[in-house]
Amino acid sequence: MGEVQRYFLIFLGALLIYNILLIRFIALCSYFGISNSMDTSIGMSLAVIFVMMVSSTLSWGLWNYVLAPLGIGEFLYIPVFIFVIASFVQLEEMFIRKTAPTLYKAMGIYLPLITTNCAVLAAATEVAKPGFLKMSIAYNYTLPEAWVYTFGVALGYSAALILFAAIRERVDFAPVPGPLRGYPMAFVTSALMSLAFTGFAGLFGL
Amino acid sequence: MRVRLIDLTRGLVQENPLLRLMIGLCSALAVSVKVENTIFMGLAVIFVLTLSNIVISAIRPVTPDNIRIPIFLVVVSSFVTIVDLVLKAYFPEVYARLGVWIPLIVVNCIILGRAEAFAYRNGILASTLDGLGMGAGYTLVLIVMGIVRELLGTGSITMMGVTLISLGTGFQAPTFMITFPGAFLTFGLIMGALNKAQSALAERAARRATGSAGRPTPVGGV
Repeated sequence: MGEVQRYFLIFLGALLIYNILLIRFIALCSYFGISNSMDTSIGMSLAVIFVMMVSSTLSWGLWNYVLAPLGIGEFLYIPVFIFVIASFVQLEEMFIRKTAPTLYKAMGIYLPLITTNCAVLAAATEVAKPGFLKMSIAYNYTLPEAWVYTFGVALGYSAALILFAAIRERVDFAPVPGPLRGYPMAFVTSALMSLAFTGFAGLFGL
Repeated sequence: MRVRLIDLTRGLVQENPLLRLMIGLCSALAVSVKVENTIFMGLAVIFVLTLSNIVISAIRPVTPDNIRIPIFLVVVSSFVTIVDLVLKAYFPEVYARLGVWIPLIVVNCIILGRAEAFAYRNGILASTLDGLGMGAGYTLVLIVMGIVRELLGTGSITMMGVTLISLGTGFQAPTFMITFPGAFLTFGLIMGALNKAQSALAERAARRATGSAGRPTPVGGV
């Protein structure tokens, strides 16, 4: 496999074929919680892309230079990764509030929520501890590959979230049967969206 | 300290974490492919939720408010690691099927949500009951989803290699139900059914109340 082709496959696999929300079911709480407005969806997406890139880099470094050489990764990876992500998010929130008030206003309130966003932990663990998500192209990621993969995951999250927010704004005005109004209809809608995404399975042999 | 039954029963219906609070959805939708999976996942969540509620409630006087979230996460992740290693050692098949969902219990919103909303503000006994009740509510919905999806998606329910219920060979099982879209659909319809049942109950209660007072039923109902 050529260099470019490999990056392309990793990116596409993370973005569409193993879409973190609709195919993997990871981070659904935020998906249903905030998708009722377009603005919050965009703010959350930006925050997730940013936090995910940094936390994956951190976890990749920790695994390859600390946890794996010491042989303690197998039973310490959960506490270490979640602690790193939680403290990094906290630090970042303070940093942004001090240095960039406009940016803080745009995405500040989503930052604490991201700590419990499973997508961040899942992507960070996948790049560090290969085979975690059981993708068919699981192997030891190099750092650039880890970045490409994480960017694909984050973009896939944003795409699904923003598409869903757009649909939900329309569904609110549709004549939905009484007991299904609100959240139940949102689930039925995402069933159809997920069905569309399953169509990508098998693309490029992934 | 008074023991209140409501702490235990709250999680079952009125504040069911999945159907009412809408938290902890990811794992629920993903593992409900098979009834057997749902039972193990439910037990794992009850274990982690109850014990972390107890510990967080116990250390609440010495927890600084500013850094409580990282502290909660450390407590939760220790219990998750216990479950992770025990399942991997004693039930490797189940562990292989549940896969990422065991480590991801750390970020399961139910556990952090209950730690923040309940255990951090209440006594140890109340927090224990809350953990048990919320965990049971989660497990209950999970098992119902598992039954619907496995029965419709594969035509039979198998547990530990034994077939419990079979729809017969004439049944053409729609595999749609055990794929990802089927999970969303099942959950949406269960939620709709609960809404329908609750509004029907409320309507009947209202009618009975007005009926016993000797007044005519209001036009249009509730």
